[in-house]
Amino acid sequence: MSHMHIPDGVLPVWIVTAGWIVTALLLAFCIKRVSSIELKRKVPLIGIISALMIVGMTLEIVPIAYHINLTVVAGIVLGPALAFISVFIVDLLISMFGHGGVTVVGLNTIIIGAEAVLGYYLFQLFKEVMGNKSMFWESSLAALLSLLLSTSIMLGVVYISQISPEKIESIGHLVSGTGSNTNGLRVLEDGINFSRFAKTVFILSPLGWILESVITGLVVKYVFRVRPDLILPERA
Amino acid sequence: MDVSAIDYYANHGVSFLHGARALSKIIFAGLVIASVVISNSFYLLLAVYFSLLTIVIWTRLPVLKIVTIAAYPAIFALIFAAASWNGSWVSAGVIVLKALCASLAMVILIVTTPYPDVFSSIEPVLPRIIREGLFLTYRSLFVLLELTDNLVKGLRVRGGLTHGRYIKNVVNFSSGIGLLLVRGLDLSEKFYGVLNVRGYSGRISGGGRHEKTGVNDFTAIVIGVLILGAALVIKKNGELSVYDGCMLALSLAALVLSTAYVVLPNTWGRAWKK
Repeated sequence: MSHMHIPDGVLPVWIVTAGWIVTALLLAFCIKRVSSIELKRKVPLIGIISALMIVGMTLEIVPIAYHINLTVVAGIVLGPALAFISVFIVDLLISMFGHGGVTVVGLNTIIIGAEAVLGYYLFQLFKEVMGNKSMFWESSLAALLSLLLSTSIMLGVVYISQISPEKIESIGHLVSGTGSNTNGLRVLEDGINFSRFAKTVFILSPLGWILESVITGLVVKYVFRVRPDLILPERA
Repeated sequence: MDVSAIDYYANHGVSFLHGARALSKIIFAGLVIASVVISNSFYLLLAVYFSLLTIVIWTRLPVLKIVTIAAYPAIFALIFAAASWNGSWVSAGVIVLKALCASLAMVILIVTTPYPDVFSSIEPVLPRIIREGLFLTYRSLFVLLELTDNLVKGLRVRGGLTHGRYIKNVVNFSSGIGLLLVRGLDLSEKFYGVLNVRGYSGRISGGGRHEKTGVNDFTAIVIGVLILGAALVIKKNGELSVYDGCMLALSLAALVLSTAYVVLPNTWGRAWKK
């Protein structure tokens, strides 16, 4: 649920534009940071991790419409800068399938990018504390906390933007017969019920968070066993 | 998301939109999304949706499949609609229709345009690492889908995914994802190495299809301009909103006639054609 599946045209233009500007700045920063890395080795990794995230997103868990993101796996394997670039690529591609609006790609990249970046740093922190012996718990905990944070950021964006039916001028009076003005348009007066929305999200999300955390932990554990250099680059 | 099906439709379709340049269709999708962003009229959005459905019918691709792919965002739009419920189905309908229209416009773009063409059109505005990432992601996606298919079959055959053993299933499935990552990476590295050996310099070729602008491009852009124009006019002049109903009726008529003409060729649609 951390992924913003908000359709185009629902969020105010200012916040969508701000999302794109911040994403562009962060992308520029990330690209500058990785300019010294040998791309020959990293670009295939970006490609496969991004594709893996998209495949994960196609596996929908019925009936809660939750899908795994694998963003923390991306953060752990790619590192924060490349993971952010990878998240942008994924958001751009899936927006073409109508999975989240095109105009909210910027905001989505910030939210999911934060998940990947935080996942990476939390994993490093837990690794420092617990060592390399419990990859499952380190990555699972990192994923769980990252998902909690990114969902909170998503709710924060919704709260700031106040998805606003006040702005929805409709001809609702023809249907509902309430409050019309002289030119026949009606301005709906109630805004979003944020607490209801937050409750819905926090009721639906925990099951998905736990599932994603467990899967992240198991994936990282497996990759660490088979290709430790992907999880611990110093072993490469 | 059935990525393989989408790719097949994009590469094997023969409609007027398949014949248009990628850039024209990107402009078309952009114009439709702009109209969705600025419009808050339920009837106008419904008219836009019907118009897009008419276009889907004219692409002669499986309509139900495409509409289903494009309907995914409606699930989440419903959550927002529920959260902002104020007793009027119109405002909820506006949120859902915005999701459906924008999504359908994008899906029309990708089911009529091969991905390399889309990438080559947006190439000038993207840094090299993102261009290459997009290209390799697209390529890796199909490699992974095939590997996933084999993996799931393998797990089932060996009893790795069995009914009732959910924890074991999650463990096996997760190890499978790890395996996909490792194997996919090997294949992706080899593919990238081969590309470099063959002189790949980071530039994606659109394949040279439809290099000249023609009537198909003109048609796509005109449809987009008409949709945006209608949204702008109604936004600027509230009094014209009474014509929303006319637009809805027109778009519905176009949808019904197109369905009869294209989808039902063996019945009265064929007779009308003759």
